[in-house]
Formats: sequence, structure tokens, C-alpha cells
Amino acid sequence: MTTRGADSVGMSWRGALVEAAVIALAGGAIGLAVNLLRPEPLPWRASFPYETLVPCPEPIGDAAPMLPDDPALDDPRTVLVSALDAAASRALPLPPRLVIPYDYLDEVPMADVKAVAAVRGTRVLVIGDGQRPDSGEQLARELAWRGVRNVFFVQGGAPALTAARGDSR
Amino acid sequence: MTGATSWRGHAWVAVPLRLYLGALFIYAAVHKVADPAAFALDVATYEILPLVLVNLAALTVPWIEIVAGALLLVGWRVRPAALVVAGLLAVFLAALLIALARGLDMSCGCFASQGAESDPISWRTVLRDLLWLAMAAHVAVFDRAHLSVAQLVRKGVPP
Repeated sequence: MTTRGADSVGMSWRGALVEAAVIALAGGAIGLAVNLLRPEPLPWRASFPYETLVPCPEPIGDAAPMLPDDPALDDPRTVLVSALDAAASRALPLPPRLVIPYDYLDEVPMADVKAVAAVRGTRVLVIGDGQRPDSGEQLARELAWRGVRNVFFVQGGAPALTAARGDSR
Repeated sequence: MTGATSWRGHAWVAVPLRLYLGALFIYAAVHKVADPAAFALDVATYEILPLVLVNLAALTVPWIEIVAGALLLVGWRVRPAALVVAGLLAVFLAALLIALARGLDMSCGCFASQGAESDPISWRTVLRDLLWLAMAAHVAVFDRAHLSVAQLVRKGVPP
């Protein structure tokens, strides 16, 4: 060490900086040495770029689940919205009023949000793919987040609805 | 020194700050040492370092934290150790600010790997690091080796 004695009281800032560099180098050397002792050492240099997935901000609105055999599904005041693509939407046992294919990477277009609000139903019920996560739940939450009220999604999505109501094809 | 900085109590205030920072940095390093690959992913997620330096940083930074933290805990070479801690915090702060400016919704990686929900970066994280940086600066300036190994060694050495 660069100063007299065991402590750093009275040590000059320059001396302290030199010792700080020594501490950093020693710590780094220990880290590299410990890595060599591991059964599977981490290579010093990564061979491939890391797949860093930074999640998109999640829609945070409240949307409640609704069972596929709930009588509210047949209520004419319920606005059925399909989060599936056009072809899958046509195969649903209940024809949706609106089709808004949900894309996890894109925001729902404001025009679609306005279209849902313009229907003026008592409740909005979204049908998704029933996967985990369910595109219907995601779309419902995003619609709620964007200001649409009384938004629900079919629990289990299209597969559950088809099982409960039968296939329309 | 001015009146405020010449207050003799500073040396005693520095003792709990030194112990706190020492324990904190050792605690923060535990998960990084246990799983360097996960920590390397945390480092990469900041998208600041070039790929060639990501693993090197993931392997060395935790042990620098441990060595500096241990020196602060036992109270030996306190000023250099506090400077190392302050330097690390300055680097962490710069990384946080860049990530926040880019709008990244990600984990800090400070005390656990992955999962933005567990320790997400935010302006609170910046304030927290600033507070720790101020503590490290206080220790570097005012520590007088009270309750430390250095004090024991000094007392044991004949004049």
C-alpha cells in the first residue's frame, strides 16, 4: 500500500485514488480467478449477442372474466368484440360486432377504441384465443386502460366458447 | 474546514454509514456471484457496454463490490474502499439515467436478476443511488477509523 500505517486516516486523496485502483484491480482479478474454478466458467467474451427482451408497458386497465355460458353473452346490449383475425372470428359460435385482431407489439389503434365506444352497448365482451396470455384479456385490459368502461373477456377465449356453444361452422 | 465540516461528530456518523455500505455492497454482490450468467444478461439489458465487455463486467464488478464492502465493514483502507464504492455508484447512476432516458422498462439488477416487477428502474432508484453516493462521499471524507481494524492495529503498534 502507498501510505504508512494500517488505516487511511490522513491519507492524501491521490494516494487514496491509487489504492482504490488497486482494490478494483484486486477485486476484478479475484472475480476472474473464481470464475475459472467454476464447473462451467462464463467465457470472458460472449460469443453471441444476448437476447435481451425488455417488456413493453402493459395495459393496466381492469377487465373482468366472464364464463362462456353466461347469459349476458346473448344479451343484445352486449358488444361482442373479437381479438382474433377475420377468419377465426368468422368461425366463432357467436358473431362478433367488431373484429380487432390483437397484436402484442402494437397499441390498439385509437380508431378501433372509438369504434367500440361508439356502439354504446351496456358492456363490452372480448373473445380472444384463450392462450396464456389470452389475447382477449389483453385487448379487454387495453380497452379499459384507454377509457372504455364495463369491459369483460370470455374466460378461456374462443376454445371455451366453442366448447360451450358449439362450432358455428 | 468550515464550521459544518469541522464538526467532530462527523467521524462517528461515518461509522454506521461505513458499516451499512459495506453490508449493502456485499449483499448486492451475492446474487451476481451466485449466477454470473444471469447478471451478464442484466448488464446486457442496459445496452450500454459493447458485447466484448459484458461478461467481463459481470465477472469482475461483483467481486470489486465484495472486496470494497469487506474493507468498509472491517474498517481497513476505508478511504480507498469508499472511493471504489462511490465510483461504482457513479457508474450505476449513469447506466440508470441512460436506461431511463431510453424509456426501458427493466429490472435494476441491483439485488436480484431479471424480473422488472421485482426491482424496476425508476427515478426512485436514481434517488436511492444518489443517497448511497452521498454516504460513500461522507465516509471517504470524514472517516477517522473509529471502531475499525485499522484502529486496533494502530493501538497495538508502539509509537
